[in-house]
Amino acid sequence: MASRANRTSREDAGLGAGLLDQCLDEVADEMGNDEAKSEELPWSSRRKKKWQMNPPKLMKTGTSEIQANKWPKWSPFWYRTWVRVTALSGGWAMVILIILVWRWREIFGSVAAQKRRQNAVAVGKERRESLVRAKRLCRVGISGDSDIPLDSDMMIDEEQSILEAQTLSAVEELKSAIAFQGKGAMQKKVGALRELRRLLSRSEFPPVEAALKAGAVPLLVQCLSFGSPDEQLLEAAWCLTNIAAGKPEETKALLPALPLLIAHLGEKSSLPVAEQCAWALGNVAGEGEDLRNVLLAQGALLPIARMMLPNKGSTVRTAAWALSNLIKGPDSKAATELIRVDGVLDAICRHLRKADEELATEVAWVVVYLSALSNFATNMLVKSDVLQLLIQRLATSNSLQLLIPLLRSLGNLIAGDSHTISAILIPGREITDNIIEVLVKCLKSEHRVLKKEAAWVLSNIAAGSVEHKQFVYSSEAVPLLLRLLSTAPFDIRKEVAYVLGNLCVAPAEGNGKPDLILEHLVPLVGRGCLPAFIDLVRSVDTEAARLGLQFIELVLRGMPNGEGPKLVEQEDGIEAMERFQFHENEDLRNMANGLVDRYFGEDYGLDELAD
Amino acid sequence: MATVVDMDAKGELGFPYWTPVRRRLSPDSPFFAYGNIQRELFAKQVALDLTEDEKNQLQNLVDEDGRDIFCPIVGCGARLTFLEDFEDHYNARHAASCSVCSRVYPTSGLLSIHVSEAHDSFFQAKVARGYAMYECLVEGCGLKFKNYKSRQQHLVDKHKFPRAFEFFKKAHPSKKARQKHQRKQAIQKRGETSSKMEVEGETIDGLVSGVSRLSTSDSSPSSISFGHHHTRGFIFLPRAVKRENSTHNGTKG
Repeated sequence: MASRANRTSREDAGLGAGLLDQCLDEVADEMGNDEAKSEELPWSSRRKKKWQMNPPKLMKTGTSEIQANKWPKWSPFWYRTWVRVTALSGGWAMVILIILVWRWREIFGSVAAQKRRQNAVAVGKERRESLVRAKRLCRVGISGDSDIPLDSDMMIDEEQSILEAQTLSAVEELKSAIAFQGKGAMQKKVGALRELRRLLSRSEFPPVEAALKAGAVPLLVQCLSFGSPDEQLLEAAWCLTNIAAGKPEETKALLPALPLLIAHLGEKSSLPVAEQCAWALGNVAGEGEDLRNVLLAQGALLPIARMMLPNKGSTVRTAAWALSNLIKGPDSKAATELIRVDGVLDAICRHLRKADEELATEVAWVVVYLSALSNFATNMLVKSDVLQLLIQRLATSNSLQLLIPLLRSLGNLIAGDSHTISAILIPGREITDNIIEVLVKCLKSEHRVLKKEAAWVLSNIAAGSVEHKQFVYSSEAVPLLLRLLSTAPFDIRKEVAYVLGNLCVAPAEGNGKPDLILEHLVPLVGRGCLPAFIDLVRSVDTEAARLGLQFIELVLRGMPNGEGPKLVEQEDGIEAMERFQFHENEDLRNMANGLVDRYFGEDYGLDELAD
Repeated sequence: MATVVDMDAKGELGFPYWTPVRRRLSPDSPFFAYGNIQRELFAKQVALDLTEDEKNQLQNLVDEDGRDIFCPIVGCGARLTFLEDFEDHYNARHAASCSVCSRVYPTSGLLSIHVSEAHDSFFQAKVARGYAMYECLVEGCGLKFKNYKSRQQHLVDKHKFPRAFEFFKKAHPSKKARQKHQRKQAIQKRGETSSKMEVEGETIDGLVSGVSRLSTSDSSPSSISFGHHHTRGFIFLPRAVKRENSTHNGTKG
């Protein structure tokens, strides 16, 4: 009975019958020919019967079934099943695997691309930050020759890690060189220092972090000890310079070295050593107020100031730069202290008069900070020749990097001390003519910063006496300013607005309404400056909007024959002022509302209808 | 910017007149930022080349001043990227103007309220029949009132509007519209038909400008204070308006 059923079932098997047969074959093999056992497993008995009925040809030859099937003798049933299943499914698995890998590559690819982008942004940001820092990397030796080529482009990741490894080993080398007591110890130390210095000055982003982690600073401090040979001091100071030229925490790591660096600024030190130490200290000072205070407390100001006194040499320039970083403040004490140092004022005048442009630039920056921070210094500077020298230099130079600090110093001296305008820049004097010429030259320049700051200086001059205003008004500055008012970027327009407005209002006396100078106001409005002021009213900058509204008030109040309101309306001034109804700033709201109510009330325009 | 400013001379209107003063700036003022950056770039340029992209980025660094600029219109607070962006933003978002009378409102919601209340006769008809048509001007409140006065009362009570602030503020229509209006007034001087719609239109403006300060702004600017200063002449009531107020008292409500 069972066999019949089996036969039927076997016939019904359909697909996979061949495989089934194979499986059954094996099972039969394993189960042996034991009939008793085969009764528990119907299909094995069926198999046996089949053999008995149709013995396979192979049996005749006497070779075993096993050989024909290529299976090892020991392999159990489940092993063979597993192999067969795997063989079949393996094909599919390969296909799926290939698809997955292809998909994953895309995902990994985009992850990698994203990482690269992030990296690029971080690097770009880092580069931007490093560009605008007040610190300077020393890549070429003070003597001017560098014995290795400089890489100016970004290093890729692998190169960076190689560099870091080299730095690590260089620091180790230095450590052992310092510990070495025998013959040629000095050469060893200098050699190790040189190697470290080279690694730290090759690229735009030296491996400072690696060097710090390896413990470079204490070793370098040891190399700075008194009595060391110049070469050693120079290389050590150079390494410290570049360590301090990067991120804030890296610069702060130089704290233990500061006293020694300051000590080597003295007259006893050789000039290159002193200069390199000043450079390192300049970097430290450029970091921030805290480090500046530390340096000042340790007495760094005086020795560096003295280094600025000679007539020429790269040392003077480095010292001037370091000084400008040191007195930056925001406290005025350092600036006041500096101007008091014997010979400094005289040196400043000398350099402004005669020095080449590079040195004059750094000295001019010193004057910028002196005049911006310390009233005492401003006073002293104004009483000396510095004003003339600044103007002279401004007239003769064409280098933007020199013009910027010269112009700014001039501006600071005028803004900071009333004596300048009231006693020195008196209209009619030659110096006053010269200064206007020079400011016009800056206004004509193509550089945004010069135009903006020149307008600022002019606005301060125009804030002087009536004679000053008349003088400025009749100069060539005014046509230039009017042109700038319509074409220049916003920040320049704002400064020009200050100039023009100051020209139209008399100096304030007491608390009343300042008088208008109609001889200036009327022609200026006639030459079309009102639209620009109304534009300022529309701007989002509170200060500019305020300026615009104040000027509109002048026009409304001062233009003769009641023309003011009409003019303002023509230029859409009413609409611009009405915007302030919904403005956050209460002062501006009140100002605008006040003007509109007073000058554009119910009665406005009525007289036109009269005829 | 740190400026040395004398006390602005303020006249009877409280207006800070233009006073020429010397402006002294500290060295870390944003005014000098651009020049400082240029200094450092020059010093490093010997070893570096700046790509065009980086130059632009540095320029942007200075332009934006490192500060965020936000739209100063109350209730907006949108972030603006450049100083010059403001005009575009204003024209896009805050210049909803009425096509009939050319008045400008800071939001489209207020504009539509103005249009229906001032220029829609259907609205007036419904009001006359006693429907509650006057919507509360504050977004999200949604209450409606039968007459102008009760809405005004609601705004004062519930939303802390100042009683008199800005309510009588006149808008300043274009010259043409003004001429038309004045001619109309001259003609209607004898007649008792006061141009009610005109009046309500004007007072709407007052309410509208009032509500613009209280609408859905999360960051209510601290500079806003209502009703505290009317003793100081904070509210300007031009004589013309005061006159009108007394003649039209009876017609309100």
